[in-house]
Amino acid sequence: MKVGGYEVPEDLYYSREHEWVRVEGKLARVGVTDYAQKRLGDVVYVELPEVGRRVEQASETKSKAMELGALESIKAVVAIYAPLSGVVEDVNQALRDRPELVNTDPYGEGWVCLVEASNLETELKNLMSASAYAEFLKGLK
Amino acid sequence: MPIVLNLSNDFQKVLRWLGHYRRLGRHMKQLQLARVHRSLGAEMVPFAGWEMPLRYSGIVEEHLAVREAVGLFDVSHMGEILVRKKDAGSFLQRTTTNDISRLNVFDAHYSTVLNERGGIMDDVFIYRVEEHAYMVVTNAINIEKIYGWFKQQESGDVEIQNITDTTLMLALQGPRAEQVLQQLTEFELDQLGRFRATSIEVAGLPTLVSRTGYTGEDGFELYLTGEPASNPARAEGLWNALLSAGRGVGIKPCGLGARDTTRLEAGFVLYDHELNEETTPFEAKISYAVKLEKGEFIGREALMRQRATGLRRVRIGMRMLDRGVPRQGYRVLEDGEEVGYVTSGTISPLLNVGIAMGYASPDIAPGARVAIEIHGKPRAAEVVNWPFYDTEKYGFTRRMT
Repeated sequence: MKVGGYEVPEDLYYSREHEWVRVEGKLARVGVTDYAQKRLGDVVYVELPEVGRRVEQASETKSKAMELGALESIKAVVAIYAPLSGVVEDVNQALRDRPELVNTDPYGEGWVCLVEASNLETELKNLMSASAYAEFLKGLK
Repeated sequence: MPIVLNLSNDFQKVLRWLGHYRRLGRHMKQLQLARVHRSLGAEMVPFAGWEMPLRYSGIVEEHLAVREAVGLFDVSHMGEILVRKKDAGSFLQRTTTNDISRLNVFDAHYSTVLNERGGIMDDVFIYRVEEHAYMVVTNAINIEKIYGWFKQQESGDVEIQNITDTTLMLALQGPRAEQVLQQLTEFELDQLGRFRATSIEVAGLPTLVSRTGYTGEDGFELYLTGEPASNPARAEGLWNALLSAGRGVGIKPCGLGARDTTRLEAGFVLYDHELNEETTPFEAKISYAVKLEKGEFIGREALMRQRATGLRRVRIGMRMLDRGVPRQGYRVLEDGEEVGYVTSGTISPLLNVGIAMGYASPDIAPGARVAIEIHGKPRAAEVVNWPFYDTEKYGFTRRMT
């Protein structure tokens, strides 16, 4: 679906920090939403997590353990928070040379990392469905 | 121009910040062209008390338009002070560092205003617009300070007037700038040399046009003159005429984002980044703005002393060898020891690597290998001269093809 010019694919889960999650068996693919990339503008650098790092699902009170990395546009740096707890299984190496993939294809080639989720069923309940995220975006206007 | 989104680690915080400023926006000064910028899709942000366009299409795209074709900036937030009457010249000779006596009518030069300690209160452009009238263009953040300072220093037959709020200032920058502007005026622009100005009609509107700019490219700055000084319809007339004239060569409206990245690539200083009241023009490596031999001026004694004792730190340029975006405040290391700090940094849209300016001890010379501490990790960089781009391919010295 499309909300105020932002793509919100139906089959994903969303966080309040504008990350998306695609469940792929035991793994969760993580990226940032169309809204996030449009608000940031040209992404010029992506600080990726190390493979093997353990992360915690982000909550209201943020900690270092919840950070997956950072996105930098020319004018801003924003943290990428872990939408789920687990271990970083793989990262999108293509972003090292082509950070702009986050802008051009946020839900596809612009993915950030794969997390082997440790508590998938329970933690997915803390995330939003596409329709809930769409409502959330409307509230930000 | 300490632009803009604060370096927050938290998207929610950035969003709250944007929301905060959207509310604050009602209390900010509005550009004459505010409506036009919004209709072009600009993201508006607060800067120096004004609500300013940060970007229209995207900072990188706008930046490349300036380097490869032409870009149009609304820079009406810049301060303009008119200094007139018989003693205007001697007043500016005493309060600014460059040699006013060298300016003929319609010449312009870069200069600084210093405090008694030799610290930079502002860096300015000064136009001689009439025999006994000068226009001093200040940074937006310093207009009140410099106007107040000038009033405090006022003596003799001088009239000092702050005309910022009614002055429309546009910058047309890029290798195609002359071609675009020429369509709107009878005046033969190839007769207008760098740092020269002229008072002409552009698209039928009386305009002060100078061959100056802040991007490193050839280009012009335009000040709408005539009465009434502030008139959104006239402002829109000039802006729209320039955009239409540039359509064929790919002109883009450009925001503060591209203004910052283009000036940084060119190695131009920005107040509150490379310059402040604790920094002298010698340290900032803008000594061409200072003519010690011209005679007495405020700050001269301090500069003479510094010239005798030597500099403890100087401005340097750095180019990243590793990946990462250098930012203001980051530490510069050599063999693990802190030797300096970053004052401005970005990814160069042209070179696609991190570039930065900063200060370091004078023995850190071009060619030196240093590290910039980014997200807590030292990343390799090389000390280089500015401009950061190849001057045969880019900038006003490029070989035109």
